[in-house]
Amino acid sequence: MRGEGLGIEKLSVRFGGLLAVDEVTLSAPGGAITGLIGPNGAGKTTTFNACTGTVPVTSGSVSLFEHDLSHHGPASRAQSGLGRTFQRMELFDSMTVAENVALGPEAALAGRHLWSHLISPPRQRRDIAQRADDALAGCGLSHLGQHRVRDLSTGQRRLVELARALASGFRFLLLDEPSSGLDKIETERFAEIISGAVASGLGILLVEHDMALVRSVCEYVYVLDFGQLIFEGSMAEAQNSEVVRAAYLGSEAA
Amino acid sequence: MNAFIVAVILGLATGSIYALAAMGLVLTYKTSGIFNFAQGAVAAAAAYLFYTLRQSDGIPWPIAALISVALIGVVGGLLLERMGYALREAPVASKVVATVGLLVGIPALLAAWYGSSSRPFDHFLPSHPVHLFVNVGTDQIIIFLLASASAVGLSLFFRRARLGIGMQAVVDDPDLLSLQARNPIVVRRWAWTIGTSFAAVSGILIAPTIGLDAPILTLLVVQAFGAAAIGSFTSIPRTYVGGLIVGVTTALSQLYLASHSGFQGVPPSMPFIILFVVLLVTPKRLLLEKGTRLARRLDFAPALNKRISVPTTLVGLGLLIALPQFVGFRLPLYMTGLLFVILFASLGLLVRTSGQVSLCHLAFAAVGASSFAHFESFGIPWPLAVLLAGLVTVPIGAILAIPAIRLPGIYLAIATFGFGILMQRFVFTNRVMFGSTDSLTAPRPHLGSFHLGTDTGYYYVILGITVACCVVVVLVQRSRLGRLLRALGDSPVALDAHGTNTNFVRLLVFAISAGLAGIAGALSGPVTGFTDGLTFDYSISLLLLAVLALSGRRALASAFIAGGLLQVVPGYITNATVSAYVPAFFGVAAVAVAVVPGIGFAKRFLVARRVRERRGASPVAERRALVRPEVVVAGAPLSGTGRAGGRNGDNRVAERVEMARLGAHQ
Repeated sequence: MRGEGLGIEKLSVRFGGLLAVDEVTLSAPGGAITGLIGPNGAGKTTTFNACTGTVPVTSGSVSLFEHDLSHHGPASRAQSGLGRTFQRMELFDSMTVAENVALGPEAALAGRHLWSHLISPPRQRRDIAQRADDALAGCGLSHLGQHRVRDLSTGQRRLVELARALASGFRFLLLDEPSSGLDKIETERFAEIISGAVASGLGILLVEHDMALVRSVCEYVYVLDFGQLIFEGSMAEAQNSEVVRAAYLGSEAA
Repeated sequence: MNAFIVAVILGLATGSIYALAAMGLVLTYKTSGIFNFAQGAVAAAAAYLFYTLRQSDGIPWPIAALISVALIGVVGGLLLERMGYALREAPVASKVVATVGLLVGIPALLAAWYGSSSRPFDHFLPSHPVHLFVNVGTDQIIIFLLASASAVGLSLFFRRARLGIGMQAVVDDPDLLSLQARNPIVVRRWAWTIGTSFAAVSGILIAPTIGLDAPILTLLVVQAFGAAAIGSFTSIPRTYVGGLIVGVTTALSQLYLASHSGFQGVPPSMPFIILFVVLLVTPKRLLLEKGTRLARRLDFAPALNKRISVPTTLVGLGLLIALPQFVGFRLPLYMTGLLFVILFASLGLLVRTSGQVSLCHLAFAAVGASSFAHFESFGIPWPLAVLLAGLVTVPIGAILAIPAIRLPGIYLAIATFGFGILMQRFVFTNRVMFGSTDSLTAPRPHLGSFHLGTDTGYYYVILGITVACCVVVVLVQRSRLGRLLRALGDSPVALDAHGTNTNFVRLLVFAISAGLAGIAGALSGPVTGFTDGLTFDYSISLLLLAVLALSGRRALASAFIAGGLLQVVPGYITNATVSAYVPAFFGVAAVAVAVVPGIGFAKRFLVARRVRERRGASPVAERRALVRPEVVVAGAPLSGTGRAGGRNGDNRVAERVEMARLGAHQ
């Protein structure tokens, strides 16, 4: 075991006859970026969905900073500090960039109590605005605040989704292919942002196909194939591993 | 035993007709993502045409049937295909509004042309008795065989024919289909033609048993929804069986329950009970929405400048205060108009802000109206009775949040539709509500020397409460809950992922909306002095949605426009012919607004030109070309009419192609 953070213990997810995730055990510490890689269909996104409670788990458990989340719903897991982004971006398309980012912390505060769905005290409003501004600035989106997210490019939309997650004050983030649709410069910028975010103690589990990005930010990677964990170790070890190469057929890891 | 067999045979025959309509419904829904609420209206139209050709013009029935099916089924189907195509990227609410507009408009047109009284419709199929255990009519056998053959044929077609397989693909990825050298438009046209023809046939077949009556014919074919639900809105064979189940259970309940007092409402409501229950118990994973991959959200109206909104509000309020001085005896018209403002504003909260379509809003108002009358008869003070009536409605709204939590978009609309009809059939006539006499007295308030009981006095009472309700709606819209509701409409998944339980938000909005509707209902009785179930007919809930759609996108302004359109304007029309066409106009206009976004009042005048231009110049086309040039190239030449050429490539192609490349999965 490598410290606290997100702990996944013997997690299995079955869709009918297909075992999408097969007894996966992994742990990702706070304050670092851990990679979760594997070929298409390996079960990476399903693992994420199981962690956040959006697909039912067949067996196994998920914990966050040693707090068992297995029996919580998606919203309550988010309340516990587990955030995520989506492979297929889930933005509030009718709203502006600033409104999108502000809704992250707002939703987190709203979900706490029954009455907090209805009323926002002025102090919270200021707090939300402050956090949203910080996140926008941190992701270099301040100049786009009043644009509608629907009008942005894919790369910018990915950044909005990240900014929203960063503004929400999560303790651990699951990022699902955040760099797909980003160009080289945007990817580098993205790597800087998430590296900066973990410096303040945030833990990240990153699903990614861009191996250059994984190499540059992850100290430790897990490799999934056909729902099974086939390797764990440093990125350099992963690239030298025969098992990993076989899984990728040498195409992407090369 | 004999009675049992006769009932089963009768059930199989009517069930076969439901099955036909339902299979057509499932076929079009599967291929276009449009759930055609107007399937029954199409059937009614075909029955009317058949009636005219045969009974007025004396054309032999086979030819009359052929012409009716060809005109309504084929021509109507092709028109509907165009409508479906125009709506393919529209949000669920617009899709519902369009077909509900037809559901309202077509029967209204028929009633305007033919008069609203029912006419006898002669049997045309040969009905010699044949002895199979009991006497069975040949017409029943013919209908049963026709439906069975259609079910088998359609199922085989889906599994074997290339066109049929293409139909399964066309809704979610028309571009991909066109890459396979299959023109998605041809596929869709076939589907709509077949589906609508099935509806036409079912209308002609069912008319002899119930006579020519547009609303009843429409509602009878709506019973096909229950059959479609049994087929999970996708499976043709299960839908066929579902139709038979609906028919037989209805016939059997007629046999065994109709004589028991308290259960008389059951037999005619059986299909809706089946619909509602099946929607509640079907596993979520079987009820996947069709065609949502392309769906976009309707834009919200940009916030108005305070320099415009404040004076407008003040002038409007001033006019409403001065109103009793110059409308004379028409004041009651404005009273109900204001009550409809409350109804529209609360419906807007559900439909517009949170993106959830409710087709039973009047049921909430009915609960409020009847509870108010009861509270008043218990001697509870008038203002408290109104408030309590609103509060009583809140849990009813919360009950409806259960399907809202379980069911995605379109299925919620279907469930609320069933719920509204069930409420009317069962609960309205119960003692808790209007009772079997169906009328309750609802007095106006008395307050010392203030003359609140006069028309003018009561008008001001209503105005005051309406303003208060509008303030509540505005506060909700602007508060945190309003933002959460908008977020819910855009992406429930993201809202959950950030820590707000979407189920609870749904519950809240249904409760608030229902409570407001309950208050409006409570106030409606005292306008005339009594209240009854007929005032709250389910069809008015449909009309409500249609009129809301054509009143623009602003939360409050649209409520006032809609209230005026639905209640006040028709009151000024004295010409009987013209007023007969008013509901038809609302229906048709709603279709137009849904299909051509931008002809609603607000958008044309209030959206800044700049915004429209900026949207036009988005870099989507370039991105598309970069990611996968062949999609752009392939879209144009293969889609025959050319109209797909320019517009087929929607602004999500880039994302979707990218997803396909990365092996995205649901």
